[in-house]
Amino acid sequence: MSVLHAVFAPGFFSNGPVQAALVMGAVVALVCAPVGVLAVLRGQAFAGHAFADITSTGGSAAVLLGISPVLGFAASAAAGAASMEGLGARQRGDRDLVTGTVLGGALGLSALLLYLSTTRQGTSGATVSVLFGSIFAVSAANWPWVLSLGLPALAVVAAAYRPLLLGSVSPELAAARGVRARLVSAMYLGALAASVALSALTIGAVLSTALLVGPAAAALGLSSRPGRAMAWAGAIAVVSVWAGIVLAYDSYSWPPVGRGWPVSFFVVALVTAFYAVSRAGVRRRPRRQPAGRGS
Amino acid sequence: MLATGTCLLVTAGSVAGCAGEATGAPGARALAIGAENQYADVISQVGGRYVAVSAVMSNPDVDPHAFEASARLASEVSQAQLVVQNGLGYDSFMSKLEAAASPPGQRVVVVADLVHPHPGTFNPHLWYSPGTMPLVAAAVARQLARLQPSHTSYFEARARAFDKSLAPWRKALAAFAKAYPATPVAVTEPVADFMLAAAGARVLTPPSLQTAVMDGTDPSPQDVAAQDALLVHHRVKALLYNVQVTDPVTAAFLAVARRAGVPVVGVYETMPAPGYDYQSWMMAEVRALSRAVAHGRSTVSF
Repeated sequence: MSVLHAVFAPGFFSNGPVQAALVMGAVVALVCAPVGVLAVLRGQAFAGHAFADITSTGGSAAVLLGISPVLGFAASAAAGAASMEGLGARQRGDRDLVTGTVLGGALGLSALLLYLSTTRQGTSGATVSVLFGSIFAVSAANWPWVLSLGLPALAVVAAAYRPLLLGSVSPELAAARGVRARLVSAMYLGALAASVALSALTIGAVLSTALLVGPAAAALGLSSRPGRAMAWAGAIAVVSVWAGIVLAYDSYSWPPVGRGWPVSFFVVALVTAFYAVSRAGVRRRPRRQPAGRGS
Repeated sequence: MLATGTCLLVTAGSVAGCAGEATGAPGARALAIGAENQYADVISQVGGRYVAVSAVMSNPDVDPHAFEASARLASEVSQAQLVVQNGLGYDSFMSKLEAAASPPGQRVVVVADLVHPHPGTFNPHLWYSPGTMPLVAAAVARQLARLQPSHTSYFEARARAFDKSLAPWRKALAAFAKAYPATPVAVTEPVADFMLAAAGARVLTPPSLQTAVMDGTDPSPQDVAAQDALLVHHRVKALLYNVQVTDPVTAAFLAVARRAGVPVVGVYETMPAPGYDYQSWMMAEVRALSRAVAHGRSTVSF
């Protein structure tokens, strides 16, 4: 009993913001996990990170317009996906250059939008909440958006599971199948954008890749079979989010007492720890590398 | 403007005399800046026709905590002969501007140095304390008298008149404290906490929550639950929130209060101008509080 109390500080389970965070965090983690595994396998982890940076622009614009940040996250990630799709045919070096330049421009635009929100409208917490997020502050009004982004993303993964994997193993073979491969890849970019938006809502735009790619990368160190890796990634992501919420709640009694540390910090720290442990395990017992690691 | 320009040409040793002589000419007015428009209002009420005042922060939709100084402001500060600022880190950009470029002999009144708030206080909103502005008015009269010695008695008389004009507000606070002793209230930020103390009200919101909202950081779930409980279980008579700050956390508390039927009172961090001076603004805040506690009526904005 006392151990239970030491882990879950008093009032944890009856706390409204905590309950809401546990449910929404789990849903977002379970959407991000399979999409993230495919992103790593298909070598699109960097694209996921690019979307994450771009979402900060959409999130800041949403704050300025006074609409739900998840709408801004989703709109900007979708714009990112569309331009990524347009860049697909280009050569690798050129693509990196364009992506890097566009990301710089997007982050610069975020700086302007956040400045305007804080100085013209008095949204004093906008910068922290858009960039680093807090799942405790996500209002229940976001549920319709979370579901309308998350469910289609999972549907894409389920419906196009085999062609998506084929694209990761042999892009040439997938490309030879023509229009359909292009469509599948475009749909996947949409699912990736949706997952980034959800992750940005939960742990902030800048950190959103951590929840998308981190659990997936750790899971692929535990199993190279995609299906099993997705299950592992889901478990790792949910445990990271839930344990992060517990630690953030407990940190209320840590210095500075009565403030609590940011929940996003704990979630990202746990994801990183899972990845480090998984990598260490892989190094100790060398075996066949999982196909196609991050870009 | 001319007076300042002349002063800048002479050596530092003779500047004080220069300011007095140059601005002592008929029609010459001392240039003064209030970092917040409530301080500018007090300067203007004390200085009358011998002072030209401008305010740095006066947009009621902007959170002063998040203000960033511009180049234009820097040039204004560099010409001001008298500056009144709050201190306690609330307007630290002013100190930076003064250090960067200010006319020799510029006089700076830091309100926090006048009122000596409790050490370690987390609440910089000193102007909500009834004792603060009389001290500011006296300090402004003193500094203006040094800039324009020939008008000393004029400034002193106006400072006394300002003190007297605060009497209705003080009476209203005392009447509230007597009619509704130890009224429990919730707040989102410590904006009006000094006035609430003067009205005998008890703020039940955890100070850590108030600081988190004020600083724009995320409040802990413990504090959010505690605040929600205050509203849902009607442990407070009113929720006071900062009209000048809109964020999801504040919006959520307002929604909880409305659902629970707890009246909300909007309070301002800077003076809601035009149409208000410091006295009428403070009276309006007390009236809004009384309406909420006595009749359960909300006041969202003036």
